[in-house]
Amino acid sequence: MHPRYVLKRTGQMVFTFFATVTLTFVLYQAMPGGPAEAMRAMILAESGDVGGSVSLDLLNEMVEHYANVNPDQPLHVQYYNYLHSLLVEGDMGTSIYQGEPVLDLILQRAPWTMFIGVYALTMGYAVSLFLGAAMAYKERSLFDSVSSTGVILLNSVPYYIFAIVLVYVLGIKYSLFPINGRYGTFVDPGFTLEYMGSVVRHAVLPVVSMGILATGGALTMRGNAIRVLGDDYVRVAELRGLRRSRVAMQYVGRNSVLPLYTQFMIGIAGVLSSTVVVEEIFAYNGMGKLLYDAVLLHDYPLLMGTLLVFTTITLIAIYLADLTYGYIDPRISTGESNE
Amino acid sequence: MTDDVAIEIRDLEVTFDVERGESNVVRNVDLDVYREETLGIVGESGSGKSMVALSLLDAIPEPGGASGEVIYHPENGDPVSVLDLDPEALRRFRWEQIAMVFQGAMTSFNPVMSIREHFRETLQDHGYDVPAGMERGTGILEQLYLDPDRVFESYPHELSGGMRQRALIALSLILEPEVLILDEPTAALDLLMQRSIINLLREIQATFELTLVFITHDLPLLTKIADRMAVMYAFDFVEIAGTQELLHHSGHPYTRALLSTTPDLTTPPEEIQTIEGTKPDPVEYISGCSYHPRCPMADEQCRATEPGLMDVRANHEASCHYHADVPDEITIRNRPRGVIDE
Repeated sequence: MHPRYVLKRTGQMVFTFFATVTLTFVLYQAMPGGPAEAMRAMILAESGDVGGSVSLDLLNEMVEHYANVNPDQPLHVQYYNYLHSLLVEGDMGTSIYQGEPVLDLILQRAPWTMFIGVYALTMGYAVSLFLGAAMAYKERSLFDSVSSTGVILLNSVPYYIFAIVLVYVLGIKYSLFPINGRYGTFVDPGFTLEYMGSVVRHAVLPVVSMGILATGGALTMRGNAIRVLGDDYVRVAELRGLRRSRVAMQYVGRNSVLPLYTQFMIGIAGVLSSTVVVEEIFAYNGMGKLLYDAVLLHDYPLLMGTLLVFTTITLIAIYLADLTYGYIDPRISTGESNE
Repeated sequence: MTDDVAIEIRDLEVTFDVERGESNVVRNVDLDVYREETLGIVGESGSGKSMVALSLLDAIPEPGGASGEVIYHPENGDPVSVLDLDPEALRRFRWEQIAMVFQGAMTSFNPVMSIREHFRETLQDHGYDVPAGMERGTGILEQLYLDPDRVFESYPHELSGGMRQRALIALSLILEPEVLILDEPTAALDLLMQRSIINLLREIQATFELTLVFITHDLPLLTKIADRMAVMYAFDFVEIAGTQELLHHSGHPYTRALLSTTPDLTTPPEEIQTIEGTKPDPVEYISGCSYHPRCPMADEQCRATEPGLMDVRANHEASCHYHADVPDEITIRNRPRGVIDE
């Protein structure tokens, strides 16, 4: 791999990260009334309830503690302080409602979201790739048109509608799968078969709903495979008497998947954002639900923390995709192409 | 060169179903390819020459199909009817007996695989001994003046056009086929590289005792390598003869027109000749001689009766009713200089 390329990509990622943090911070400040005011009003209202009075200094201190910003400082100083505590101390502030550090809350929920997210993404893409390749090989057959229509339908109807349909049909009508929670109420967490079975059963519907998002890749795969099937090197491979399976995997498959690789990594962002709605529908306590609740409750530090985590994961995924692309496509790694 | 027949083509037809009807791109072709000769097939684009070549490997792309007979006679063993092979036998037949090099050497390699991997998988899928085969590959690459270690390590895009073309020729010889088909192998190369590839092909033919079928529209180039030439017009051969015989005693108006139209570097642009008329349509059927709409000598007989190949002189066939009169009637203007020199 070219060191200059790595350096350039790393620089780009760091830049994007700071741009996102800045943008989030500015938006956070620009919210109606501003978070600090909102929080101050809330604290004042609460202290008013108990009949006491709060000094302005104490109030500002409390706001700073919760929101991780000092509302009286100029914006750029606040920004510097926020970045400083975020990057140096790893402090994202404290959730206003739950009273716990944002980082702790995120770390508790993240594995669950990763669990359903990773399965949704890999299974969704695995199905898309095979379906897309099969459609390309059977181009213009009945199977091709039926599958194409099906995939277009799946992608035109929002995934959360499917989630609700799944809840109704498989969850309520036939009671095949549980419709809420991460595991059964009466199951003790631990390394038991019962617990793990319960976790898997609870994950099925969210995974399927989110996986539907990834099936759009089937049409891209179909298009790529049809293009590759017409390429000279596939014809030559057939004339060379290579086995059909090798031509299908190493020639057609590998070359059609290449453009999808980056799309797959970007798909991580799509899956993460879909967890927000899906986890709410299935009452699945993951990061998405954390973010959703933070929005509803105006829990700004928590909202910003979760957004930052989502952004970081997406950035890292795309970064890794770019750096590893050279391994699956040798034309990229040399940094120059004579085509 | 011996008179031993390596490939016998009889009544070969290649058809495609298109919306306008049936597209007949090879019509009733008969041709013999002799062992260890170099047969040049020349014709304009769309005359059907590539389709004849692909038929030898039963590789007409969908939705087309070849019918008729292609009989391959291996040096040792029983004749093989290529068009009747079952899929697995056909897979083994390809590249082991007849290999093919395309004009698209740029795009003939899988872009994500190294050259070594192309050689290795070919040996493996044909059940050859891989280490011994790779050893042989090294030797072939050396004979083609390539550095085997460097080329094996390279990915296709890392090689120049000429190197890629030579690597492809080496790959075509890895299973030691008896016949090598070259479809416009030099089309995308510069003149110097064309000449060097031609010289290499001659060397290789001698070393490996190969039968070469060389397809091109570049007539002057063909005269430098072909022992015999077959001229294709309108989906069938119109003249087949030894190279010198064809150049000096051609008995078909189309061949003579083709020789007249061949420009060389010294031809001023305004003197470049063209053949009047348009090239034939594969869906339409032309009654009589397929060349009559463009032929200055055409008469009633030409419009009514298809001539078919007839003997002109020894080892020289042409499909023209007036082949005896043609040399006097149609003079070859601007005959390619290089052609006559050799």
